[in-house]
Amino acid sequence: MSSRKVLLLVASPRGAASTSKSLGDHLLAGLEERGMALKTLPLYPALGEERKMSELLAAVDLCDLLVLAFPLYVDQLPAPLIDLLRQIAERRNGQVRTGQALAAIVNCGFPETTHCRPADDIVRLFAVQAGFRFLGCLATGMGGAIGNRSLAKAGAIVRHQRKALDRAAAFLCENKEIPADVIALMGRAMMPRWFYNFVADRGWKKAAGKYGSSAKLFDRPYAGGES
Amino acid sequence: MKAVFFKGSPPAGRDPLSNRAAAAVSALLKSRGWETKAFPLAAMDIKACRGCFSCWTRTPGRCIIQDDDQEAILRAWAGAERIILLTPVTFGGYGPELKKTLDRVLPILLPFFTRIQGETHHPQRYPLPRRLLAVGTLKQEDAESEGAFRRLVGRNALNMGDVETTTLVFSGDASLATMEKRLSQEPFFGAEAS
Repeated sequence: MSSRKVLLLVASPRGAASTSKSLGDHLLAGLEERGMALKTLPLYPALGEERKMSELLAAVDLCDLLVLAFPLYVDQLPAPLIDLLRQIAERRNGQVRTGQALAAIVNCGFPETTHCRPADDIVRLFAVQAGFRFLGCLATGMGGAIGNRSLAKAGAIVRHQRKALDRAAAFLCENKEIPADVIALMGRAMMPRWFYNFVADRGWKKAAGKYGSSAKLFDRPYAGGES
Repeated sequence: MKAVFFKGSPPAGRDPLSNRAAAAVSALLKSRGWETKAFPLAAMDIKACRGCFSCWTRTPGRCIIQDDDQEAILRAWAGAERIILLTPVTFGGYGPELKKTLDRVLPILLPFFTRIQGETHHPQRYPLPRRLLAVGTLKQEDAESEGAFRRLVGRNALNMGDVETTTLVFSGDASLATMEKRLSQEPFFGAEAS
């Protein structure tokens, strides 16, 4: 059994109601089973809050395994997470903290996991520059299908992701890199792409209908706007 | 020619290389006589995206956050034919100064899906024949970071409707004159003012 400490950093503005948290929680359950001590912190409540940010940075310094869970925003990490990673790297100023490891979980709303590749690059390069051992990035598309449900409640559609996270936990617990086949399993489609796209399109229309803005979905409020 | 210049340099004095690159781009834009809107992002109040998708459902095309500086950026982007992103290369990606505004440009896209080069993407709300220039700066040469940056810009270009893209990375002690010369050789700046 391990007594190592893991910190799950949830870098989604939706916090506890996010797909990032759902995916991170599932991984953490697997790590807890293997005796790791867990801590979860949301990033967004710490923005602009000096005390909370100090606590967050201190928790990063103290953990053995840092897990970043975040949604893909414009092909990479959300801005507040980039800002945090820059602060962590600057605090360390090139000094390697031996024994600390980093893994990441990224989800995107597109059906293809390919979109997440730049995020994989970025967290890997951050790990190198901030002195973490990089253990891998688990990426999945179709994140919108999970919503804020736990993976257990999301049913069979996330069976590949559940299995991938369970298997990843076994490797992370032993401070080993996540194997390529586990990363590939995490990226497997939850459903046929055409079906996901169909449901997503209907979902946007339904959501707009709730706000009475169905007729405005294609509006161009800044058409003719000055450059 | 309408251009939008996103100056993603960190606050003044923190990154002279990035500031020089911004000055070089500004000089080129001025010499071309383009109608340019430049945004010094570090000095602007741009709040973090809430991930609420209101800009697609509740107030289509507009961000629900109205008490900061982002709306002027969206207005400029909608009519721009040339988009210029400038940033220190940060772990192979963009710095937070640039990224904070890009996180908030979702309103210029439509929520629905389209296919580009076999992948799923969102259609443009304001389709125009745009070109993208991305200028990154690196304090030291770093092939791995530069490669990641170029790949990221390529992904952004696809999401912007597969726009024609130029990516430049300046590193080390590149001078203002060197940068201006290099930039002036790019086809991106080739067209005369329209």
